[in-house]
Amino acid sequence: MQNLMIKATKDSPEINFDCSTHVLEIKGKMYPEDAGKFYAPVFQWLNGYLDQLEDQECVVNLEIIYFNSSSSKALMNIFDLLDDAAANGKNITVNWKYREADENILDSGEEYQEDVENLTFNLIQI
Amino acid sequence: MKINLFKLKKQLGEQGISFCYSGPVSKDLMNEISEVFEQKMKMEDVNRTTVGKVFSMIVEQIENIMKYSDEIITDATLQEELRVGIIVIGRCEDDMFFVMTGNKIHNHKVDKMQKKLTTIHQMNQIELKQYYKQQRRKEPDKDSKGAGLGFIELARRASCPIEFDFEKINDTMSFFTITTKFKEASKCKI
Repeated sequence: MQNLMIKATKDSPEINFDCSTHVLEIKGKMYPEDAGKFYAPVFQWLNGYLDQLEDQECVVNLEIIYFNSSSSKALMNIFDLLDDAAANGKNITVNWKYREADENILDSGEEYQEDVENLTFNLIQI
Repeated sequence: MKINLFKLKKQLGEQGISFCYSGPVSKDLMNEISEVFEQKMKMEDVNRTTVGKVFSMIVEQIENIMKYSDEIITDATLQEELRVGIIVIGRCEDDMFFVMTGNKIHNHKVDKMQKKLTTIHQMNQIELKQYYKQQRRKEPDKDSKGAGLGFIELARRASCPIEFDFEKINDTMSFFTITTKFKEASKCKI
C-alpha cells in the first residue's frame, strides 16, 4: 500500500497519510471547490488502509484552521469510518488540535468528540 | 449617465459598508474576498474566534450564491457558467460585523426556502446544534449541491438570528436577501 500525500492549497488541506508509521495527518483550511471530488481519494485510501490495519496503533492528527459545511460533513464521515474500525477492535487515536483562543475549532472538536463512541478522541491546544 | 464614485463610496461608508460587490461570482473571487477580510481583521486585532466566525459567514454566503443563484451567465456550449449575486460586508453602529448577500431565484423555490429558513430562525442555539448534528449524518436533499448545512451553519455562527427576505421581481423571479451579524465577544488580543 502506498502513502497518500496531497499538498495544501489556499482552500484545501495538506493530507499526509503514512501507512508505515500509521500516522495520518490533515492540516490547514478545508473549503475546496468540489468537496466530493477532493475527499473521494481520501475515503478510498482510508477504506483500504483500515482493511489491512492489524493491531498497530493508528494516530490521526488534525490541525484544522477552518472548514466549511461540506467539509464538516466529510470530517464526520471520516470519524464514522474510524469509529466503526475502532468498534471492530482497531486501535485508533484522534488528536484534534486547536490554536489558543480559537473557540470555533475547539467547539467543533467537542461536537465530533460527542458523536463518536469507540475512538480515543483527544482535544489538544497547540 | 454620470456616476460619482466618491459620493457612492461616501454613502457606503456612512452605512458602515467596507466591501461591496455586485456581479458574477467565482470560487477564486470568493477565496480572495474571504482572505482579504481575514487579513484586514487580523490587522485590526480582532480576536481569533471572531475572525473565524466572520470568515465562515463570508464563505457560506458566497457559496450560496455560487450554488443557487438563478441569474446565470453561460457560454454558447453551456459548458461553463457563472452565477450572479451581490455581496456587502461591513460593521454597523453597535459594532456588529454584518455580511449581506443577495441573488435572484425562481419563484417556485421561494416557499421551500422560506420554510427552511423560518424553521432555522425559530430555533435557539441548543436546538440548532442538535439539528446541525442530525443533518450532518443524513444524506443531503436531492436539490442540495453541498452538505445541505449552509443555513444552519450560518445561524450557529451568527450572534443574532439570521435575517432573510424574498422580494418578488416578476412572474418568474424573486430576489433573495440574507443577512448575518456577529458581535465581537471580547476585545482581548491574541
